[in-house]
Amino acid sequence: MSAPRDDGSESIRMPAPTAWPMLLAAGICLGFAGLVTNAIVTVTGAGLAVIAARGWIREVLPVQHLEEVELRPAALRARDVLPSTARVDHLEVGRDGHRMRLPIEIHPWTAGLGGGLIGALVMALVAAAIGVATHGSPWYPINLLAATVMPSLSGAGTATLEAFDPTAFGLASVIHLLASLLVGALYGLILPLVPRHHVLVGGLVAPLFWTGLLWAVLGVLNPALNGRIEWPWFVLSQVAFGLAVGWFVSRREKIATLQDVPLAARAGIEAAGLGPGRDEA
Amino acid sequence: MAVLDRSLASSSPGEAVRLPVASRLHDWVVTADHKKLGLMYIASGLVFFLVAGVMASMMRIQLAFPQNDFLGPNTFNRLMTMHGTTMVFFVGMPMFFGFANYLVPLQIGARDLAFPRLNAFGFWMFLFGGLLLYFSAIGSEGLYGAGSTPDVGWFAYAPLTSRTFSRGNATDYWILGILLSSVGSTATAINLVTTVATMRCPGMTLRRMPLFVWILWVDAILVLFVLSPLTAAQVMLLFDRFLGAHFFDTQAGGSAVLWQHFFWFFGHPEVYVLILPAFAIASEVIPVFSRKPLFGYPIMVAATICIGMISMSVWVHHMFVVGLEPGANTFFAASTMAIAVPTGIKIFNWLGTMWGGRIRFRVPMLWCTAFLVEFVLAGLTGVILATVPIDWQLSDSYFVVAHFHFVLIGGLLFNIFAAIYYWFPKATGRMLDEGLGRKHFFWFVLGFNLTFLPMHVPGLLGMPRRIYTYMPGRGWDAWNLVVTAGVAVQAVGILFFLWNVISSLRGGEPAGDDPWDAWTLEWATTSPPPEYNFEEIPTVRSRRPLWDLKHPEDPDWRWE
Repeated sequence: MSAPRDDGSESIRMPAPTAWPMLLAAGICLGFAGLVTNAIVTVTGAGLAVIAARGWIREVLPVQHLEEVELRPAALRARDVLPSTARVDHLEVGRDGHRMRLPIEIHPWTAGLGGGLIGALVMALVAAAIGVATHGSPWYPINLLAATVMPSLSGAGTATLEAFDPTAFGLASVIHLLASLLVGALYGLILPLVPRHHVLVGGLVAPLFWTGLLWAVLGVLNPALNGRIEWPWFVLSQVAFGLAVGWFVSRREKIATLQDVPLAARAGIEAAGLGPGRDEA
Repeated sequence: MAVLDRSLASSSPGEAVRLPVASRLHDWVVTADHKKLGLMYIASGLVFFLVAGVMASMMRIQLAFPQNDFLGPNTFNRLMTMHGTTMVFFVGMPMFFGFANYLVPLQIGARDLAFPRLNAFGFWMFLFGGLLLYFSAIGSEGLYGAGSTPDVGWFAYAPLTSRTFSRGNATDYWILGILLSSVGSTATAINLVTTVATMRCPGMTLRRMPLFVWILWVDAILVLFVLSPLTAAQVMLLFDRFLGAHFFDTQAGGSAVLWQHFFWFFGHPEVYVLILPAFAIASEVIPVFSRKPLFGYPIMVAATICIGMISMSVWVHHMFVVGLEPGANTFFAASTMAIAVPTGIKIFNWLGTMWGGRIRFRVPMLWCTAFLVEFVLAGLTGVILATVPIDWQLSDSYFVVAHFHFVLIGGLLFNIFAAIYYWFPKATGRMLDEGLGRKHFFWFVLGFNLTFLPMHVPGLLGMPRRIYTYMPGRGWDAWNLVVTAGVAVQAVGILFFLWNVISSLRGGEPAGDDPWDAWTLEWATTSPPPEYNFEEIPTVRSRRPLWDLKHPEDPDWRWE
């Protein structure tokens, strides 16, 4: 669109200023304004709109009315964009000083499950020992656990709870194993988030929280069972579980999270500086 | 063809040729230049904003104390109607079209919009529509005689708008004013859609288009989809009022709910029509002041398109209290919550852009940072209101008023201020004063939070919206007083802003071509730009063409 002229200056063709669009708008608005004022306003507006539309059409047909606008003198034009002296500092995830999301390293998921199995074994031994010490029978705590899903046991007498019941043993074993695996997996996930004292947190703090939660809700969920639980011994078995899981999990080797890998690679997002560049566009 | 040198009239400050006032006025009236039209849109929007702000202040004075008699009920209804109508149609919309007009051709390396004369027509239709609406204050024959502005609320629910309940022609002014300005909006939207589709400079593929342009493009398409039903409904309402039709006359087989469907099919997407330009501004300002490229550009584009599409499937959440069937309520509650997902993506991506950047908290960045905070709060109350039983409880209460003011002020207006501070140097050649800008920011943000955070509480306590007064002792008194005090604090901020604009226009620091060390094409030309924008149409190789020029050792095209 830029064309050199005889005197050496250059110009660009641009649409010529025009009053017709404004007049057409005024005509249309007056035309409608007559609905709320006076019919004369509508007639005036309609007339103005027709004239303006005609003027507009003649301005763009058959050839659009353009004007040549002279380019500014060189001194008044935009300055060239020059290379910057500022250093480009690419953000690199994982570089020293750059903040990382915790945990930087995590345990493999198998650590949690393995810890759950070890914890299940230790807890079962401790609970059985407590049963022998308090009721002369290792089956007492096992039957209590089964009573959570066996209504016949939740209302049974002490003698029944101290006797071996194969159904109760099977159910209690399944509940115990599943719960231990689940809690073990949670330990595996959560312990890396704790900055230090993994065994203490996993072996003491977490069991106390867990016991507190159970103590708060069991009275509502199963009052009969709640009345038979001896909470100090219960806490002791939970702590044994927690210590065993915490010890097992914290001994397993950690693996790094994927946060060292550029987000672009993980999420398919383009981001300058996080991937290899090209030499040519 | 005459050879003109009007470019000199808009050259750098101090070097401009001063034309007589009449000539300059004539230049503006007959212009088809997208930049002048953009500035006219923005200036008109600011004038309407001040008028609407005065109306809001008057309403807040009335509500500051129980049983206050500063305003009567009829005046209150008129102010409420005109405030809402003005803010949506004559502040938010012209701000969108103003910034789009001014910046889209510059950012895509074009000389003008595709249809410059249609652009002028669109602006004048918008302006004359607004003037006609305000002419009702003089010319309308309302229920109480001449000088009655409309009083049916910005939503104008049927059958309140029927001849039976809206005597006189104040409601007709409301219909015609918006109808005519909508014609202008539609014309400008067509212009923007066509321009972006056909006039991008060489090298500017869709993947290299600035996100600002992307968002405004989607927004213009959205305008085309949602304005049409409103225009149709207004024509139907005109038929009802002038020709005795019964579209919305419930006693003659019409449906008042039909109006609500029409209106809100426009009304809710309109919120996104208004807020998307705010997103566009934030997407431009935050990267420049964080000194980092925008995080997640393709996902931001996808989120924008998702917002545009989902926004047209949420309108019934404005109608939960109508008593629709549970299936409809469930669908629209879910879709309303779903739109928070792409919006949330944007929030996270702006935070991701700021993360690790060398942030410069200049005034535009202050506004965008405050926007992030306030808009998250607005979004949270939005999700709360999307829950049908909660909406039943809170609908038409001041909780809703507080929510949408958080959206439209904390979201839209904050970013408009950011845009004015950011692009004022480009449009005028002069910087806005940083100190006054900070005073404006702190007073206004303080006043905004003092107004609209406490406003949630009387809403939760059951205060209905649109009431002109209330009885004492309901627990609303102190909250309303605090809310009104907040308006006064905001007004102080606005005074700093006006002082800043006027003093900077007269003697602000010269800006130069690129005062922010920015990256898009508008900063490659002079401030203000010449009529033809660029001596040569630029060629781009990346989303940040100026970065490529400034850093040839590390251009963006190597990574994109």
